[in-house]
Order: sequence, then C-alpha cells, then structure tokens
Amino acid sequence: MSGLLLELDSIAKSFGGIAALKPVQLKLRAGEVLGLVGENGAGKSTLIKILSGVERPDSGQILWNGHAVAFESPFQALEAGIATIHQELAYFGRLSVAENLMMGDPWPRYRWGGVNWKDLHREAKTRLNRCGLNIPTHRLFNELSSAQKQEIAIARALSRKSRLLILDEPTASLSEPEVERLFSQLNKLRRQGVSILYVSHRLDEILELTDRVAVLRDGELVASYSTNSVDLNRIVKDMVGRPLDQVFPRNRASEIGSPMLELRGVSRSPFFYDISFKAHAGEIVGLAGLVGAGRSGLARAIYGLYPIESGKMCLLGREWRPRSPCEAVRSGLVYLPEERKRQGFVLDHSVRDSISIGFSDLITKCGLIPRRLEDSRVEAACRRFSIRTSSIRQPIRTLSGGNQQKCLLARWLDRDPAVIVLDEPTRGVDIGAKAEIHALIDQLAGQGKAVLLISSDLPEVLGMSDRILVMHRGRVSDELRGERMTQENVIMAASGMCAK
Amino acid sequence: MFHVHYSRFLVQRIAFLVVGNVLLLLAIFVLVQDGGSFADVILNAAPNVAPTVLAGLGLTGIICAGAIDLSVGSIIAVAGTVFGVLVHRQVPPFVCYAGCVATAWCLSVLNGYLVRGLGISAIIVTLAGLAFYRGLALILADSAITGFGGNISIQDDAYHSPGKVYAGAILILTIAAAGIWENSSKTPSKWLALGNSEEACRLAGLSSGRILQTAYGAGGVFLGLAALIYVTRIQAIEPARIALGFELQVIGAVILGGTNIFGGEGRYIGTVLGSLFLYLLSEFLVYAGVNPYFQEVVAGAIILFVIGLDCAMHRKRKMLEEVA
Repeated sequence: MSGLLLELDSIAKSFGGIAALKPVQLKLRAGEVLGLVGENGAGKSTLIKILSGVERPDSGQILWNGHAVAFESPFQALEAGIATIHQELAYFGRLSVAENLMMGDPWPRYRWGGVNWKDLHREAKTRLNRCGLNIPTHRLFNELSSAQKQEIAIARALSRKSRLLILDEPTASLSEPEVERLFSQLNKLRRQGVSILYVSHRLDEILELTDRVAVLRDGELVASYSTNSVDLNRIVKDMVGRPLDQVFPRNRASEIGSPMLELRGVSRSPFFYDISFKAHAGEIVGLAGLVGAGRSGLARAIYGLYPIESGKMCLLGREWRPRSPCEAVRSGLVYLPEERKRQGFVLDHSVRDSISIGFSDLITKCGLIPRRLEDSRVEAACRRFSIRTSSIRQPIRTLSGGNQQKCLLARWLDRDPAVIVLDEPTRGVDIGAKAEIHALIDQLAGQGKAVLLISSDLPEVLGMSDRILVMHRGRVSDELRGERMTQENVIMAASGMCAK
Repeated sequence: MFHVHYSRFLVQRIAFLVVGNVLLLLAIFVLVQDGGSFADVILNAAPNVAPTVLAGLGLTGIICAGAIDLSVGSIIAVAGTVFGVLVHRQVPPFVCYAGCVATAWCLSVLNGYLVRGLGISAIIVTLAGLAFYRGLALILADSAITGFGGNISIQDDAYHSPGKVYAGAILILTIAAAGIWENSSKTPSKWLALGNSEEACRLAGLSSGRILQTAYGAGGVFLGLAALIYVTRIQAIEPARIALGFELQVIGAVILGGTNIFGGEGRYIGTVLGSLFLYLLSEFLVYAGVNPYFQEVVAGAIILFVIGLDCAMHRKRKMLEEVA
C-alpha cells in the first residue's frame, strides 16, 4: 500500500563522549502512527532533535521520501515537511494568535503596501477552522490555556502541509477531554495520509493511538512491534530491559530513627498537590517519576525557593516555613540541584571557592576568612569525598562531572546537615564516580541523616532507597516498599497506571 | 482601523500616563496664571520634548527586539559635531541638516552591524559606543576646525529653523508616520517576535540578525531627526557635553511608556506619552517652585517607582517560569 516516508539509517549521536543514540534504524510509512517510548534519558529527545533539524547526527543518514537529507536548521526540516511540536512550545507569548500562526509566511497586504490586518485575521481563522478550532485570533498567545496553545501549535504545523508530524509529550499539560479532542484530530490527520511520530510516557495513549510502537532504551532501538499484537506488560519489560546487575552498597544499619522531615498535604499549583510523607533519620526515600511530574518543584519548595500554598511541613519536629534557601541551610537542610552547571556552580571558580562557600560563614572571623583554615578544611573534604584534582586552585569547569558532583556534596556536607535533598545526583556521571557517590549517600544515611533521593535512573532509585514515592502529574501516585519495589511498578505508577 | 492589539498591561500603563499628563497640564495651567502665558508653555514644549520623543521612538523598536542602544547621546554628539563643522565651513543649511541626520543614521546602523556581527550583547557593544563616539566627536571637531576651543558657535538664524521653527511640525508628522508604520508593516511585529523568543523566530524561518538590523536602521532614522532638532535649537555645540546622559532620559521615557526592558512588548504611543510625562513633570516642578536640586531627585524617584514596580512583577513571573 503506502510507501516508505522516512528511514533512519544507523543514526548515532553522542554528547561529550556519552552516547545518547547508538546507531538506530527506524522506518516510517506514509500515514502511519508510530509510538516512541522509553525511560527518561533513553534517547527519545535526541532522536526528535535530529529529525527536526535542531541537532545534527554524528553518523548515519536520514532518507526522506527516498532521498538522503541533512537538515541544517529547524526551518529546513519544516520546509521539507517535518513539523515538530516540542515539549516546550516555542512561541511568541505577547503577540496575537494570528501573528503567531502567520509569522513565517508572507502577510496579506493592501495595494499600497500596508498590512491588511483584516485579511490576516481571516486567513488565521480559516487555518484554525480547518483544524476544527474556534479561538479568537486577536487574543494574545499568553492568555490562552495550555490546551489551546497546543492546538494552535498543531494548526500551525499543519498549515505548512507537513507530511510528518512529531509530537513530544503533547498531553503533559492537557486534561482528559482535551486529550480526546487532540486524538480525534490526530486520527483525522492519519486518514489524510499524514504520518505521526508520537512520543509519550503515557502508555495507555500509545496503545490507543498508534499503529506501531518502537522502544528505545539507553540509546538503542530494542524492540518494535505493531500495536495490535502487543500488550502493556511486554512494552514495559522492553523499556526497563536491563537486569538489576549493578551492585548498590548497603552498609548502613537497617533500623530507622525519628522523623526528620514531614510533609502533610503540601500543595503548590501548578507543580504539585497534596503531598504527604515522612523521611526518617537514617532513611533514603526515593522520589521517582517522569520529567515534569513535579519532583524537582517539590524539592525546591522544601528548600525554600518558593512558598507552598497549603499544607504543613515539619523539619526536625518543628514547623518548617522557609523564607529562603539561606534559612534552610542554616536549619540543617541542604539541596543539591539537578542542573549542576547552571544552578550549582560558578564554573570559573576554583575548587576551593566552590567548596568553601558552603561553610565559609562558619569559620569567618571578624568578617575575614582565615585562608589557612579554609584550605585545610577544603583539603580534608577533598580527601573525604575522594575528589580528584591536581590543586584546589583548579577551576571547577576542568573537573569531570563526577568530581564536580562530589564537590557539590562536599560543599554542603561539611556543615553536617540533618536532611539532604539530592536531585539527580548521578546524571552525566561516569560509572566509577557513580559508585563512589552511591557509597557516599549510603554512608550519609548511615550517619543518621535523612536523604531524599530524586532520580530518573531506575536501578539507582530502586537500589539505593528504603522506599520509593512515585509521582505522577504533581501527585504521589504510589508508594512502593519491599517486594513491590520493581522497575515495572515504578513505570506503571509514573505513567499513571497503578498496577494493583 | 487599528488592528494592532494592546495587552492589558499596556492599556493600563497608557491610561495611567494619559491621566498623569492631563493632571500635570492642569496643574501647570493653574500655576502659570500668575505671571506667564499657558500658550507659551505649550509652544515651547515642542523643541524641548521632541528629541526625547523621537529618539525614544527609535529606541522603542530596538528594545522591543530585545536589544538596546546606550550610545544615543554620543551619537547625537557626533551628528551635532558634523553639523557644526559643516556650518563652520558655511555649507548651505540643507546640506548641514542632511549631514546631521545621515551621521546619526549611519552610526545607529553601525551599532546594529556590530551587535549582530560580533555576537556580543547589545548592552556591551553600545556601552563601548557610548565612550567611543563621544571621543570621535571631539577628535572630529579638533581636526576639522582650526583653533577649536571646546565649542562650535552657531549664531546665524538660518541654521536654526528645524529646532526653533519646525520642531512641532516635525514631531507631529513623525509621530503620525510612526503610528501608520506600526499599523501597516510586518516589521514591528517581527521586532516583538524576536524580543519574545529568538528560538521561535528561528523555527519560523526568520533571521534574527536581519530583524535586529531593521530595528537599528529604523531607530537611526528617528535618532537622526532627534539629533537634528537637538542641535539646531541651541546656539553653541559643545562636543564634550552635548546630550550627555541623554540616553538615560530616553530609556527612562521608553520604559515609562510600558515597553518591556527585556523586549517583546511595547508600543510607540506609550513612548510618546512617557516622554511627555517626564517633560511635564519637570516643568511642573519648575512652576511649583521646587528647589532645582530636588527636581532631579523627584524625577528620578518617580521613574524608579514606576519601573521598579514593573521589574518586581517581571521577576515574580520569571521565577515561576524558571521553576516550571
């Protein structure tokens, strides 16, 4: 029947020596809806970026309509007929709907050269109507709901007569009826012969919508089957795939102490709602979930980066209403941010300055920092956390990711905090350093600290934690302990399907 | 007939400025009754307010596109020096005017080229220009005029008509032209688009460099007219001091008019009203007999209050975006 529209031949891509995509083969026929699934960091985003012209592959080639193509820019991909709707919509928030829809096209003009706004809005309206939308074209884009924004993104993609539509997590911010509207639109497109590459964590949607499912894991295409012939468990098995062969250290005592951090019904829209849990001394609590499920938002609220709207938090038995991170650090709660480079460090600072900033207020005398005392403490910390550096004057940017992360740990742990919130502590860290960081975390819990571990690395969160809270769309969807702590259960809960 | 839309924020700001301007006018009207003519105040307004308004219109486009020009004062110094040198050589008035406008336009376009060509942030490039152009004006005056003693005197009335006679007409015609341009060209929408999201521009196939260049080019036209009025209303051009600190006054007027300092939002009418507000405020302080030392303080405090409020709101929004 229909011919091949797109073929990826051994496409590979790596970032800074770490392979994000190992040579991948993928085929897509005209009018086909292909679901692409995988865990966080499996390489889905990289694949989409290559297809949409944002990134160039290191090797391999893309055959589009039978011809080899190399997209230099997103616009070229768009012109060729590949429209991508990214997770974060790139739009002009303070321009009108009509201007947003028409920005890339020539505008209708009067004979004397002026823009004919009436025709512009009429044309925009026609485009919206073609997709069954009825949104006033004069409205500013920012004033629309997220569903409307999504719909306009699709309308714009289609107005370019695209032959392939790539959707990256399109339903992340949509409600049920909005999702249904989106699906009916996508089905209409499918009948018109448009191919769709649908990327989602929500497996129920994948099963409902797609013709075929492809599973990515660790940058490899591990399986691909037609949706009719497969069931949910098979997909989940292929997604997690890798056996839990990594050995996680556990030298800490198994008994846990008194509650250090307690949350009761804590909410902050639109990030998280009604979160309740306790973290005890000597306990590692894992926080799993998809990117955007609200885990980092929760961590930052606990750290005092922004206030909560309702609910109550207790730290070390006292009510906890942090006004600023500074207060959190002084009260014995530290947070290691997820994006080290952007949120954690001034990259040009030396190792010494990066570490001592965490405790310099403790050793300051009369407003001055005694250099010798600072140096000796930093050197002790470097030894304790086995930070490999030729000199403590070395700029932090020259260190490997693993060593940077250890510096960050050293910075805060020298204060001897009671509660430690770690956000993706081993992302972008090589295996050796990973093991060291794991040992450190275990050691910290062993010293009677409460650790809240946010991680998208399933084996890590399963291997390290005493119990796991799984978040889905801002809520705790499941709490896993003991036997129930399996990769399958985490994935099920994270995608909103509790395996009961 | 106007299809350009205004956000709620801009409507509020414009309404605030309209009310403020009317109240200030009323106050001046009342104060001026004893010993002066209100008509004179209005007539004198044009030459005084025109440079700020015109330069502000140009800067509005540049700021909307997410860039800035800190060198407008120094560019006026160069344009004024070119004008002075030409007058000194007794070139016919029209050639002098053209030279002044062309110089300002060329330097503004040059700023655009540097910002896009060097890929350095506009604030740094034009901060360098602020010093560089000022020095350029002095070198030019010193080398072109023998026995240059710090200022170029222009006594002949034939060289003062744009500033003293036609300032009002130039101002009103330019504002009208700007209004029509804003409503009938795609370019201002592109500036706003660039200020909103460079990434989205790229995806729509627009070249951000070219958009930035048009913003500086259009800004140069307005700046040229501003320079023309600025230098023809005074009797002596002093390259070292002319239009010193003018850029801050202009940026103040633009921001007061509701243009977002980070780009992506703003309208010409806001800038016009904002400049007018600052001018009327200073006039009011004069007529109210406020100590001249205090006048600057009050003007500064008001700008700080309005803009500080804006930034606080912006910061809150930005924080939420970052967290999301």
